[in-house]
Amino acid sequence: MSKEKIQIEVNGKMVTLEVEPDDLLVDVLRGDLGLTGTKVGCRAGECGSCSIILNGKVVTSCLIPAMKADGGKITTIEGLEKDGKLHPLQKAFVEKGAIQCGFCTPGMLLSAKNLLDQNPDPTLEEVKIAISGVLCRCTGYQKIIHAIHVASETIRKQGV
Amino acid sequence: MNQGMNLVWSKSLHWEKYYRPQSIPEALKLLEESGGHARIIAGGTDLIPQIRNKEKEPKVLVDITRLSGLNEIKLENGFIKMGALVTHSQVAESPLIRERALALSEGASRLGSPQIRNLGTVVGNVVSGQPGADTTIPLLALDARVKVVSQRGERIIPFTEFFIDTGKTAVNSTREMVTEISFPPLIENETSISLRLARRKALALPILTLSVVLSADLEKKAFRYARIALGPVAPVPFRAQGAEKLLTSVLITDGIIKEAAQKAAQESNPRTSLIRGSEEYRRAIVANLVERGIRKGIERLEGKHV
Repeated sequence: MSKEKIQIEVNGKMVTLEVEPDDLLVDVLRGDLGLTGTKVGCRAGECGSCSIILNGKVVTSCLIPAMKADGGKITTIEGLEKDGKLHPLQKAFVEKGAIQCGFCTPGMLLSAKNLLDQNPDPTLEEVKIAISGVLCRCTGYQKIIHAIHVASETIRKQGV
Repeated sequence: MNQGMNLVWSKSLHWEKYYRPQSIPEALKLLEESGGHARIIAGGTDLIPQIRNKEKEPKVLVDITRLSGLNEIKLENGFIKMGALVTHSQVAESPLIRERALALSEGASRLGSPQIRNLGTVVGNVVSGQPGADTTIPLLALDARVKVVSQRGERIIPFTEFFIDTGKTAVNSTREMVTEISFPPLIENETSISLRLARRKALALPILTLSVVLSADLEKKAFRYARIALGPVAPVPFRAQGAEKLLTSVLITDGIIKEAAQKAAQESNPRTSLIRGSEEYRRAIVANLVERGIRKGIERLEGKHV
């Protein structure tokens, strides 16, 4: 099978890649780019572990052929920190104990970031809907919701 | 361990070619040339899992996400029109849909998860032909129609003729393409509502979805018409036409509403399912949900936000 060239912006950096027509974005991010913060869970769009932000929207990268993402702008969990400093969401997750095994954490954080980017002061219901696409099997939703509210307050006061 | 489970994921799905046409004619040509081995991909939220499960094995994917003019929701010539690339998120957030077809906004906002709603398209949801699909049921109640194009031309198919069997529609997806779904927007004294029963609020297939469209004659305390769509209670999305008839042009009373709900339960045909519950249970909830839908619809007609 012949490889095809695609160009994507990942965490602010342009990268050119050669991919197979049937490569999925999640595998290209993890395999070709080594961005293993994006997790692989169900590969059916149901667990949300592979969530990334593509062109401003949180999506499951296991359902996206790499070639479909050509020309797109992607944020993965590795793109959240800035100059070695954690994003307020990451800080709040650490401080409020919103992480247990950590497998769902990248998807939770990117879902939360996508929410706060559009809605800096969300209600409880809006936070619940925003993270409803990511499964946590350590049953840590309460602390995750709390951490997102803490981070939203920090961002509103101090910025990102 | 479940023997059917494949734990080595990488390359467990396969296709040979991935095309990204720039125009509808180019997309149709690619479909035609692939001789039945091609599939269109837009959101991919149904197609990719189907390929992984080997329910579909296309050799060629035709990605239509680069086609222009298909990602709009617009009001034109008395119809609300949605192009093939309109996502569930777009529909859920559209002020036009919320104002003139609230049931569709409600259906789209409950489908899957934010991730799935951001990727998946309404047209894809409909073309997949599932009898309880979250946007199909409200569109059936809204009297929608589908525009299908191929190299042989264009045809418009009403929703009532579009669904043939579970997972099968009047569209040959290897040669034809749905470019648009349209429906008449609701006017004054009309309302719509969607209700959904599922095990949880996200990423759960519906046990039952219901959409009701009511057109009121307020003076006579009657409905000019009522449309009741249900799923999955039959191999295809279902209109409870017996119940609709009972509600049309008569004085609306408690008794009539209850009678119509019972009629809907009688005429629908749910099957016992491990995921969705027993036939008896599901028939009982058809009656409950239809009654609740009509009552809430009436409250909306009275200007209440329910």
